[in-house]
Amino acid sequence: MTNNLDRVELSLVGRKRSERLFKFYGFLGILIAFLFLITILYSVISQGQKAFFTTFIKVNIFFDSEIIDPQNQRNDEDIRYANFNKIITESLKKKFPENLNKNDSKELSSFISSSEADYLSEFVVKNKDYIGKYKNMWLLASSNIDVIVKNPEMEDLDEEDRLISNKQLGWLNQIRLNNELKKELNKNFFTKADSTEPEQAGIWGSLVGSFLTLLITLVLSFPVAVAAGVFLEELAPKNKFTEFLEVNINNLAAVPSIIYGLLGLAIFLNIMHLPRSAPIVGGMVLALMTLPTIIIATRSSLKSVPPSIREAAIGLGATRFQSVVDHVLPLAIPGIMTGTIIGMSRALGESAPLLMIGMVAFIVDVPTTFLDSSTALPVQIYLWKSTAARGFVELTAAGVIVLLVFLILMNGLAVFIRQKFEKKW
Amino acid sequence: MAEKIKISTKKVNVFYGDKKALENINLEIPEKKVTSLIGPSGCGKSTFIRCLNRMNDTIDICRIEGKIIIDNEDIYSKEIDPVLLRAKVGMVFQKPNPFPKSIFENVAYGPRIHGLAKSDDELDELVTQSLVKAGLFQEIKDRIHEPGTSLSGGQQQRLCIARTIAISPQIILMDEPCSALDPIATAVIEELIDELAKNFTIVIVTHSMQQAARVSQQTAFFHMGNLIEVGRTDQIFSTPSQKKTQDYITGKIG
Repeated sequence: MTNNLDRVELSLVGRKRSERLFKFYGFLGILIAFLFLITILYSVISQGQKAFFTTFIKVNIFFDSEIIDPQNQRNDEDIRYANFNKIITESLKKKFPENLNKNDSKELSSFISSSEADYLSEFVVKNKDYIGKYKNMWLLASSNIDVIVKNPEMEDLDEEDRLISNKQLGWLNQIRLNNELKKELNKNFFTKADSTEPEQAGIWGSLVGSFLTLLITLVLSFPVAVAAGVFLEELAPKNKFTEFLEVNINNLAAVPSIIYGLLGLAIFLNIMHLPRSAPIVGGMVLALMTLPTIIIATRSSLKSVPPSIREAAIGLGATRFQSVVDHVLPLAIPGIMTGTIIGMSRALGESAPLLMIGMVAFIVDVPTTFLDSSTALPVQIYLWKSTAARGFVELTAAGVIVLLVFLILMNGLAVFIRQKFEKKW
Repeated sequence: MAEKIKISTKKVNVFYGDKKALENINLEIPEKKVTSLIGPSGCGKSTFIRCLNRMNDTIDICRIEGKIIIDNEDIYSKEIDPVLLRAKVGMVFQKPNPFPKSIFENVAYGPRIHGLAKSDDELDELVTQSLVKAGLFQEIKDRIHEPGTSLSGGQQQRLCIARTIAISPQIILMDEPCSALDPIATAVIEELIDELAKNFTIVIVTHSMQQAARVSQQTAFFHMGNLIEVGRTDQIFSTPSQKKTQDYITGKIG
């Protein structure tokens, strides 16, 4: 006996050591994953938060009646066609008393976003009293100015590497000294769709596009997948054909998403002639992609419901279908929801299949129906990332933040539903 | 007194795939009596009891030959709907398996799917009566809307019995109903079985020979898929005619 115990004690050293080692590796793994997560979040948030705010410049606008309405007719159409860019440039010039040549005024006019001329013309059409008068207005700065204001370290770059000239930088500093510069919430980013000008581009269009697309995906894939899973697991006879189906469904879950995009292109666009770039087609393609994931999750969570529950119901004279719907399915809902979260999260982050069906276009209008042209969040991020203008760097990161927040909200909702159904007894 | 035969089986063979689980079972079960099935593990007694309400239909590889006649009808004939049959032949399982719902919902489920109660009041009354008959009502009357799984093991098993009674079957099959229970809970269930035998035909599978002796009027001994001997319980335990039965009840095989 003693001999035996000695041996056990001897072997215990090695056993304990391997356990400690395993714990250490596990901890190391978590630590590395955590560091990566922090790095990603830090780089994305530090870049992206800049895009949530944008720069405005205070300009004392002179609504010169000579430019706006030389004939003094107060006609809406004439006012709209007036050269408001000139009004902005002339008003800007007054900030700098020194003599400016023609080239200078061109450089000066690039301080203000091109969208502001339209804004002023609409303003004048509505407030004709201002013609011939002065008004202090905060105008949206152009992207280049905005980038320099947000990244002060760029002021130290050489002139040719910087987005603005030395002269422009001098003016900018003067404006700043006069307290005529302010940062405000970037409304364009949260309310508009894509634009060629970074300061006018927004995420809202693609956010709505993603929402509409995912709505279609959920409505199509969830009921079909749950019904298919229930049928295959509970009601279908187990034979060669259902086995064949099962193997195929498992394989489909691993098919690269771009294949689904090609399928969508061939069937939904070329054969069924549905509109290109539309959320309805995107949703259908992503639904195809999500189906196997939810089917597999449904089947495995049905499998994990104890058979005694089925027997209890069937023993009472319930039909097979009643036993599933009344007792087994409610117990499987948490598992099904988990599968749905995984599938929908993947669908939200997917861009490749959407490229195939044309949801990669440059779209400046916010979609309002399932048939409107639209992009989706990941595609918008991709589009901005591949645009040359410097102002899109921050927008790209901000787009990633919006995508992550959307994902968290969506998953939060699913977790909430799951916990509502999860019975502790 | 001549006994009326409720269930009779004729030349029943059961196969799981290629394996023969039961061979040539001929058994008659009297009405409103308790019949216990005893035998060592794997002898086929559970398989047999599950044939009586066609519970084995849910197992794909299970195949049954021969005739099982309940009230002059072969329950395996094509005209018989197994769902209807199970409303007539209720079953209580080895492990208490209440639905993860309230006590009330557990008992109300059967009557509800079969449309046995015309109104909510009638359903309430039916549930209460079933719980009373299962001897559970006094203990749980204040928490009838609490989860059925919050009860103790013995109470859960009586809840399962109440659930079965609620659909007013004629026959109740019990597959080792006390094997997961302590002796006190077992005694309560045994008393209940005595009580139920006044109104129901009961077939009970048990591992405990003492239990068979206590609760049943007829005992059948199964061994290796064969029905070795059947007879009045007191006679089986005192003067068995077969050597195998003798060996089993004296503990030589098992």
